[in-house]
Amino acid sequence: MATESIPTVYTPQFPSWRHRLARLTPWLGVVPFFLFALAFLLGPASYLLVGSLRDLQGNFTLDNYRNLNQPLVKGAYILSIQISAITALGGGLFGFLLAYAVTIGGLPRFVRSGLLTFSGVASNFAGVPLAFAFIATLGRIGLLTTWLKLIGLDIYDRGFTLYSFAGLSLTYMYFQFPLMVLIITPALEGLKREWREAAENLGASSWQYWWYVALPVLLPSILGTMILLFANAFGAHATAFALTGGTYNLVTILIGAQMRGDVLRDPGLGYALAMGMVLIMTVSITGYTLLQRRAERWLKR
Amino acid sequence: MKFKWAWVWIILGIVYFFLPLVATINFSLKAERGRYSFRAYQIVLQDPQFISSFTLSIQIALLTIVFSLLLIVPTVYWAHLRLPQVRPILEFIAFLPFVLPAVVLVFGLIRIYSGPPFALFNRAWGTNLIMVGAYMALALPYMYRSVDTGLRAIDVRTLTEAAQSLGASWPVILWRVIFPNLRTALLSGAFLTFAIVIGEYTIAAFLGRFTFGPYLALLVRNRAYEPAALSILSFAITWSIMGLIQWLTYRAPGSTQVAAGPR
Amino acid sequence: MPFLEIEHLHKQFGTLNAVADFNLQMHKGEFVSLLGSSGCGKTTALRMIAGFEAPTGGIIRLNGRDVSRVPANRRHIGMVFQSYALFPNMNVADNIGFGLKIKGQPAAAIQAKVHELLALIQLPDKGRSYPYQLSGGQQQRVALARALAIEPQVLLLDEPLSALDAKTRVELRQEIRDIQKKLNMTTIYVTHDQEEAMSLSDRVVVMNKGVIEQIGTPFAIYNYPKTAFTASFVGQLNVLPVTVTDGAAGECRFYDQPLKLKEAFAAANQSTATIALRPEELRLGQQDGHNHLTGIVENNTFLGAIIRLRLRVEQTTLLADLFNERQMVIPRDGETITINFPPHACWILDNQLN
Repeated sequence: MATESIPTVYTPQFPSWRHRLARLTPWLGVVPFFLFALAFLLGPASYLLVGSLRDLQGNFTLDNYRNLNQPLVKGAYILSIQISAITALGGGLFGFLLAYAVTIGGLPRFVRSGLLTFSGVASNFAGVPLAFAFIATLGRIGLLTTWLKLIGLDIYDRGFTLYSFAGLSLTYMYFQFPLMVLIITPALEGLKREWREAAENLGASSWQYWWYVALPVLLPSILGTMILLFANAFGAHATAFALTGGTYNLVTILIGAQMRGDVLRDPGLGYALAMGMVLIMTVSITGYTLLQRRAERWLKR
Repeated sequence: MKFKWAWVWIILGIVYFFLPLVATINFSLKAERGRYSFRAYQIVLQDPQFISSFTLSIQIALLTIVFSLLLIVPTVYWAHLRLPQVRPILEFIAFLPFVLPAVVLVFGLIRIYSGPPFALFNRAWGTNLIMVGAYMALALPYMYRSVDTGLRAIDVRTLTEAAQSLGASWPVILWRVIFPNLRTALLSGAFLTFAIVIGEYTIAAFLGRFTFGPYLALLVRNRAYEPAALSILSFAITWSIMGLIQWLTYRAPGSTQVAAGPR
Repeated sequence: MPFLEIEHLHKQFGTLNAVADFNLQMHKGEFVSLLGSSGCGKTTALRMIAGFEAPTGGIIRLNGRDVSRVPANRRHIGMVFQSYALFPNMNVADNIGFGLKIKGQPAAAIQAKVHELLALIQLPDKGRSYPYQLSGGQQQRVALARALAIEPQVLLLDEPLSALDAKTRVELRQEIRDIQKKLNMTTIYVTHDQEEAMSLSDRVVVMNKGVIEQIGTPFAIYNYPKTAFTASFVGQLNVLPVTVTDGAAGECRFYDQPLKLKEAFAAANQSTATIALRPEELRLGQQDGHNHLTGIVENNTFLGAIIRLRLRVEQTTLLADLFNERQMVIPRDGETITINFPPHACWILDNQLN
């Protein structure tokens, strides 16, 4: 080769430390963010995880997780899961019907934008004020309670109370169904007119179009969003606490009580309780993400 | 005209949405026996505890917004520009708050930072620091998504290179080129953060800071009409922030912010 | 007896006449294109035939039977959409077999048919792929197979190639024609691309503002356009404003240069008329018995097989498409040249162009 005869002026034998450093400098730009994540997200999570795997003497153990199997803790999980599932299903169904009404239901355009605005507000309106709004509506002297009494229906006489499963579910629904509306409306709008026409053209009835095409196309979005609603309710604390004053045994309430005064009389068990919650949240959020990704993949192009 | 089921659902939705509001407004106006008045609002707005707690909440919210922006904008910008390989990691971290409910997050924070070597809760600034950090974490997914979509919408690399080729320095690039193009995204992210922080209860209560959320919870337990007035106030805040965001992102249709504040 | 008869088909949207008095007869196995610019009513006409739009008036008769009130899902007419419209939740085989499944055919029969169609569209291995895994051209082939699976009486294609890139468009166009001939499928093809319409069709229907301008073979449409719209929409056209000097002898004047037409025309002397002339009829230089025009070359564009001259004669610009030859001397810009064309190449337009 001709180049071999040309004397090399500068050949670094090893990449110098300057070079190595130069390659690392861009990473300096993201250091503050990682420090933040460590201090406020990964740190607390790992602390709980480590704590959940240690006994009082600091040795590794799985006992804390075995001890989750006791009436108080199990009851809290079951109740939390029940209320989250019910409000996810109910809120999901109602939200879907509303979104369907404004997209395919043939309502005027302003109804659609109105619904989306309201949903944006309602999905963000939660916690203490929401709890109070429902006390004012369905509490013992709430507006709806008094109206119903006027027409001869005393719901409290019939065993209803806002501070129960039914009451809490109704309250949760207020931030559940708007979230469904917000996420499912774009999906419904993504149904192409041509799909319906193509199906019709191939001999399908309207019912067959929905069964074979529209519903399967929407299914990942519907399921995914319902899972998101589940997680949304599962992590709720302030609303339930404000409404029931901490007497209602949900996982979040129990964690709060454990934080305040070690009601479980076992710190490790408290950590395991929190980690169980994180696990359920992780599974649901992952499920939501996977389903959403699948829906997007289908609708691409 | 053909009967439309759609109307039934919409009307049901309207009732469900507005009835609690009407009930709360109705309640808030009945502080004086036998007639409607704004008495409850007067009492509440003059309550020194309200003023101090609400001011504290606003301060915390503003601090959270400022620190969030300072942390997230340069990081995401840098990742877009120089470290595209780090973006999946950032996205993963921005997702973490979804799996760490507020109550779990504050649990972990208290256990880490109350004991040695930190012992941060002995001082007010320490508690405030943890609180702002916790709120930054809560708002992280929304802020991150705002900034990320904002940066994705403009071609950061080309814009930066164009500015560099015209002789702009780094501060000029950030301040005169990138920021103005991100204004909408940053503002909506900031407003959303405000909405999340202003009425937050769980973290504030467990950190023992008497902000607006705990104050309202206290009123709910002890008073009848005043919390109604405050609930309406906080609903009005949520409404105006969502309205602002919608107005801001008006030109970018389909960008309805899906947020889930503290429950 | 014609296989598909459309009589006085009419569609009104509010005050707009989307399609007015549409008449067309097709025999079995014929390939007809509806050609026109967007908004000319061609797609509306197609959608009425498919059953997606209810006609305001008129009759669509298929094999002797009036189908204008039959719902789309019982018409047995296949349709291919511009946007492919494949069902994203089904793989290719399920998409193709959908119509047969709806009909309640046994699985084995469906499978056999799908297999046969996959071979026909040259995608034998793609049965298990999902639409999002296919290219645009492949998706449109699958859409075609899906429409053909139900063995429709008529196949409708609504701008099937406009979402594809140029190369795929030409390939797929030929393939569509081959398949159509093989199956002897009566086909209506909607397009705004004149080249597509001309190269594919047995007959072309030129539409403008909801009205049929002309129906004819591609050859007839191009060489004997009946209306000014057809003449100008299909191919390039030179339009010459002339003054009639002797209509009976077919003589007129373009500015002060005399022109002669092959046929006599009824117009008073000294009246004005418009003459049409295809650019490819023009030749350089003089030739006995031909018309001649002298003008200044504005510019020339080299297009490979063709060299396109822009020639200015007084206030009118003419296009001249000259066949490329290696020994040819290309006129320079600004040069004054003479071109010729035979008397039979030009014709009088019956109405003015706008």
